[in-house]
Amino acid sequence: MAGRGKLITVMGDEDTVTRFLLGGIGELNKNSHPNFQVMEKDTTIHEIEDTFWQFLNQDDIGIILINQYTAEMVRQALDAHQHSIPTVLETPSKEHPYDATKDSILRRARGMFTAEDLH
Amino acid sequence: MEDLVCPLAVLPTAGGDGEGGGSGCECVSMAALDLRADLDSLLLQLLGDLEELEGKRAVLNARVEEGWLSLAKARYAMGTKSVGPLQYASHMEPQVCLQASEAQEGLQKFKVVRSGVHAPEEVGPREAALRRRKGPTKTPEPQSSEAPRDPLNWFGILVPHSLRQAQASFRDGLQLAADIASLQNRIDWGRSQLRGLQEKLKQLEPGTA
Repeated sequence: MAGRGKLITVMGDEDTVTRFLLGGIGELNKNSHPNFQVMEKDTTIHEIEDTFWQFLNQDDIGIILINQYTAEMVRQALDAHQHSIPTVLETPSKEHPYDATKDSILRRARGMFTAEDLH
Repeated sequence: MEDLVCPLAVLPTAGGDGEGGGSGCECVSMAALDLRADLDSLLLQLLGDLEELEGKRAVLNARVEEGWLSLAKARYAMGTKSVGPLQYASHMEPQVCLQASEAQEGLQKFKVVRSGVHAPEEVGPREAALRRRKGPTKTPEPQSSEAPRDPLNWFGILVPHSLRQAQASFRDGLQLAADIASLQNRIDWGRSQLRGLQEKLKQLEPGTA
């Protein structure tokens, strides 16, 4: 679909996904996979990683919204992702508030300022 | 006597120097000064971006919390299981998309755009001539609207006001998310630029720690 733009995907608990789908980002049709994943109690880490890698490799995705709690499960893959698109944005969930010390981007930014670099 | 290296000051050596080493030293010092100035401005910009990111994060978290509260009120009014994955449509089209633009090399910026904006439908006779009552005429049916369906309709026709409020909060949250994503990209880009400049500086001034 020319000129449509990039999609926003969401991975997280039921409330997180429902709220962003209410905002109008959802895509689901028989030709493509859904651009969201709801984390159930029985969702395995392997499934989360597979979906995350799938979203990372899709060309039509601009931003991946992911609960920080879910992001912790795929932290290695997240830290290894260095491209600007898609951008991964960690969001809080109801049970797990946002913790800036765990955010990949901010951790990298903190690593910039070492004693040697500031000389 | 060997030429002394001037780390910062660009001072011409007294009486001039027969060899070209002195002017080379000056060039290196000038280049190092320029690099340091670039490093300083880049660092200041990065710190500004980090501060802006923190501010936008706080606003996004506040919007999300507002949305949760509204969603909880909607569930209270409609029933716990009435607002959840069971109500998701089997066919969804995104109402909101991202426009990605490259401001500088490797630096992506995002903007949220709403899709499904259509011109108002024309109602009325298409021909200037009078219509005659000769029976039903075949008129071309208007093309079915391609506008994506509002997700609010998944949850019923008359939804509570709190659900509409939740939708409004999350829509604002999406624009904020795009701004935060752009900021994160800028910070990452600035970080890589900073590393590059630091490497160049180390090559110019290998003696400095």
